[in-house]
Amino acid sequence: MISASQRFWFWAIVWVSVVTLSAPTVVVLGASFTAGNIIAFPPEGLSLRWYEKIALARDLQQAFLRSLIVSSICMLIAVPAGTLAGIALARYQLRCFNGVQMYLLLPFTIPLIGSGIGLMMMFGRLGALGSLWPVGFACAVINLPFIIWSVSASAAQLDPDLEHAAANCGAGRVQTFLYVTLPAVMPGVITGSLLMFILAMNEFLVSLLLVDARTVTLPVQIYNSIRSIITPDLAAVSVVFIVMAALAIAFLDRLVGLEIFLKSK
Amino acid sequence: MPPSIKARYPLTWRVMDALEWLADRLWPRSMSRHTGWLLIAPSLIIVGSLVVGMIEIADTSLRTLDTATFRMSESYSLANYQKLATSDVYLTVAWRSLLGAVLTTALTLILAFPYAYIMVRTRSAAARKALLICLFLPFFIGQVVRAYGWLIILGNDGIINQATGLIGLDPHRFLFNFPAVVFGLVQYMLPFAVLMLAPALTAIPEEVETAAKSLGASWPRTMRHVVLPMARPGLIGAGLVVLTLSLTDFAMPAMLGGGSQDFIANAIYDQFFRTSDAGLGAALTLLLVMGGTFLVGVVLSVFGAGTLAAGRRA
Amino acid sequence: MTHTIGRMSRRHLLAGSSAALIMAGAGSRAKASEPEKPAEIIVRAWGGSWVDSLKAGVSDPFTKLTGIGVRHDLTEDNEIRPKVWAAVDQGRVPPIHINWDTTTNATKSALRGITVDLSDLPNLKNAMETAKPVGLDGFPIVNTYGYVYVLAYRPEAFPNGAPKSWKELLDPRLKGRVAFYNDGIGMHFPAQVAGGGKLEDIPSNMAPAWEFIKQLKTQSPLLGEDPDFTTWFQKGEIDAACTISTNAREAKKNGINVAWTVPEEGCKYDTDGFWIPKGLPANEEYWAKQYINLALSVESQQIWLDGLGLPGVIPGVKPPAGLMGDPSYPTTPEDFKHLIRIPGKVQVENESEWFATFKSIMQG
Repeated sequence: MISASQRFWFWAIVWVSVVTLSAPTVVVLGASFTAGNIIAFPPEGLSLRWYEKIALARDLQQAFLRSLIVSSICMLIAVPAGTLAGIALARYQLRCFNGVQMYLLLPFTIPLIGSGIGLMMMFGRLGALGSLWPVGFACAVINLPFIIWSVSASAAQLDPDLEHAAANCGAGRVQTFLYVTLPAVMPGVITGSLLMFILAMNEFLVSLLLVDARTVTLPVQIYNSIRSIITPDLAAVSVVFIVMAALAIAFLDRLVGLEIFLKSK
Repeated sequence: MPPSIKARYPLTWRVMDALEWLADRLWPRSMSRHTGWLLIAPSLIIVGSLVVGMIEIADTSLRTLDTATFRMSESYSLANYQKLATSDVYLTVAWRSLLGAVLTTALTLILAFPYAYIMVRTRSAAARKALLICLFLPFFIGQVVRAYGWLIILGNDGIINQATGLIGLDPHRFLFNFPAVVFGLVQYMLPFAVLMLAPALTAIPEEVETAAKSLGASWPRTMRHVVLPMARPGLIGAGLVVLTLSLTDFAMPAMLGGGSQDFIANAIYDQFFRTSDAGLGAALTLLLVMGGTFLVGVVLSVFGAGTLAAGRRA
Repeated sequence: MTHTIGRMSRRHLLAGSSAALIMAGAGSRAKASEPEKPAEIIVRAWGGSWVDSLKAGVSDPFTKLTGIGVRHDLTEDNEIRPKVWAAVDQGRVPPIHINWDTTTNATKSALRGITVDLSDLPNLKNAMETAKPVGLDGFPIVNTYGYVYVLAYRPEAFPNGAPKSWKELLDPRLKGRVAFYNDGIGMHFPAQVAGGGKLEDIPSNMAPAWEFIKQLKTQSPLLGEDPDFTTWFQKGEIDAACTISTNAREAKKNGINVAWTVPEEGCKYDTDGFWIPKGLPANEEYWAKQYINLALSVESQQIWLDGLGLPGVIPGVKPPAGLMGDPSYPTTPEDFKHLIRIPGKVQVENESEWFATFKSIMQG
């Protein structure tokens, strides 16, 4: 039971956060329907002209497709690796534990420009630049701590006795892992994967160094096109992006029930 | 025993047995105490790609730029580090980054804790979903467009200043200063912090709180003595993420700082991209990585291992 | 803009140059001497009105004449540079065929020795001396037009007319309402004059410039890049800025009330240009050169630079409407008297130093 005064204070802070998080989104959303030439709020007259413009922009659509591919590659790499690492960190005794954690936080402690330059040199030497998988790999590595940590947070809640019980009943190591450990960390895997996907869809600084004009991704395309004036077509792109994301989240919700893993037990 | 003998068992059993058989061959039980390392190895290797880059950057940081040929010197020297050590401006920028990161971490946690708490504890599924969606939506408009949104709201001719203008107040400049950068960082980091905190809070049984309250504890006391200590791993995990990401951030100081609130990452950008002095940029990068890693080490040894330590096998 | 492209007939180009002759012929008759055509070439460009005018004036006509597509890479000039350098160093094919770059930045790549010599472009014969980069051997870069770092301002904020001196930016009422490039580019030289120094002392003694910039710092200026200035003018954040005239003109075209002037201390004049990175396949390098050659024709310059509102390097280009006699559109020696030109090599060698000093004043 949450007391009335606690509820008041907590909700007050939550509302501050909600407004802070949503205000720019609302403004951009509104501005995308403007009939004028600049992003303004309230919009100057209503029209769908900027949507029409992006509907015809083939380069934007191709960039969007490439971003989808990059995000998928990112997840293919990061989700298995991060899940295993998260489980290992939460459930196994490792020597130099703090050292391992500091090492695994390198993607956050190295500034993105440093990571980008380093990866560009490495992939350049390997002759891999020009395809999309280095970009997907880069998005996986620079955001890897997110999935590791969200999985390990879930793994930490699993009672070790459950795994022992499974083993006692004759389950082998693989079976215990697949039927006990993995389902227990699923909420962490889902949150982590969602985050990885979204971050890969939006990464521009490291990607900028790894793409060329033929493999440019959506965020890089947007970042580069803001040159002289920020035009409302970028707002329209964002809105389309939000709508697609909302559909994806709704679909995921139907599939696994997003709120189940956040509800207190 | 070869798996084929059990042919009459259901398929999943046979697959499982084959996998167990394979696991025993590839990773014998005698190796079990190293299983943790086996599981963590892929991540160690992936992050290793950044270490490769860092080695290259360390090498570059020991070379100086020749502006007659715009190439790095063949010989090694500590000139770049000396330049950084003797320059006031980099010291200023480093302090600003550190202060900004610490402030951002504190403010973000203060906002994130109630958010995660309400999201986890509320009885309304709709409210929980709405709160979850509010976390994810801002990602989709991208940082540059989002900063533009803030200009429309908080700018001199923005919505807020127009509103306060109606009651006769002069326009106030909210943007392009240090508080604006911290504000920008907080709203950018908030979703990460909430998502890291939420699992830690779901792990705390509600009964514990009810028990504390039935023993006469007021809610602030229950929070302070029961919930916050139990949520400590999550708080430390979230804190570390926010601290390291804001310490190395580049976009917010560039967009909301009005050009005079650089963080170290902006100085690094300038060296690599604007003046092409990769040596100086590399030295700055290396110092920032070492500083950040040191900070992580301090947090880990003072506060314990955070989220990760909670359920480890003894 | 389509009608202007149409106006540029094949006959014009035939008369224009021998390279154009090759290209014009290519459409109908296959020539044995001509290297194989790539499907497309990639030209790095700035976005917005910059790329739009390049497309109309050069890229589209090039495609029409040769059948080779042109893809524009809108990566920032600063951000493409490390990518191109790394590619050339590592022996890879560079990510772009042509870099549209500031002469100062291009000079760095030229000094590094990674640019292709362009001396043999036929249209260079007609070009003015501004097309040649100062202080470099041959044509490792070709300058294609000049521009001025003007003082752009909102007329409402200056009721007594255009500011006559950069010193007017020190007026207390403009506190927090002026903007500069975040590395100070464009301001270093006028500041030297405004601070009481001599241009001849650049780079040996720039103390007067730094003194003046320290005074400007007390005005809490905003620092940004091209898009920021337009945005800040548009949203009423600033009253004055040192920026390239093209940005001010772009803002004006979009309905923002902005004017510009060259104050008595003068303004920095500089050029932009084209260069081709080494390491391209020979046939692609050939066609990249043809692209640059086309950009140096009167017809292409006319359309391209009409869009930018900047003076070209080929005689015979007519100023766009409204820019005749404008201080940001220098054509006569009289116009150039008020403009400050410092050789690219001096700039390149000292730029890091100047940027660092400017930053240390502004970040303090």
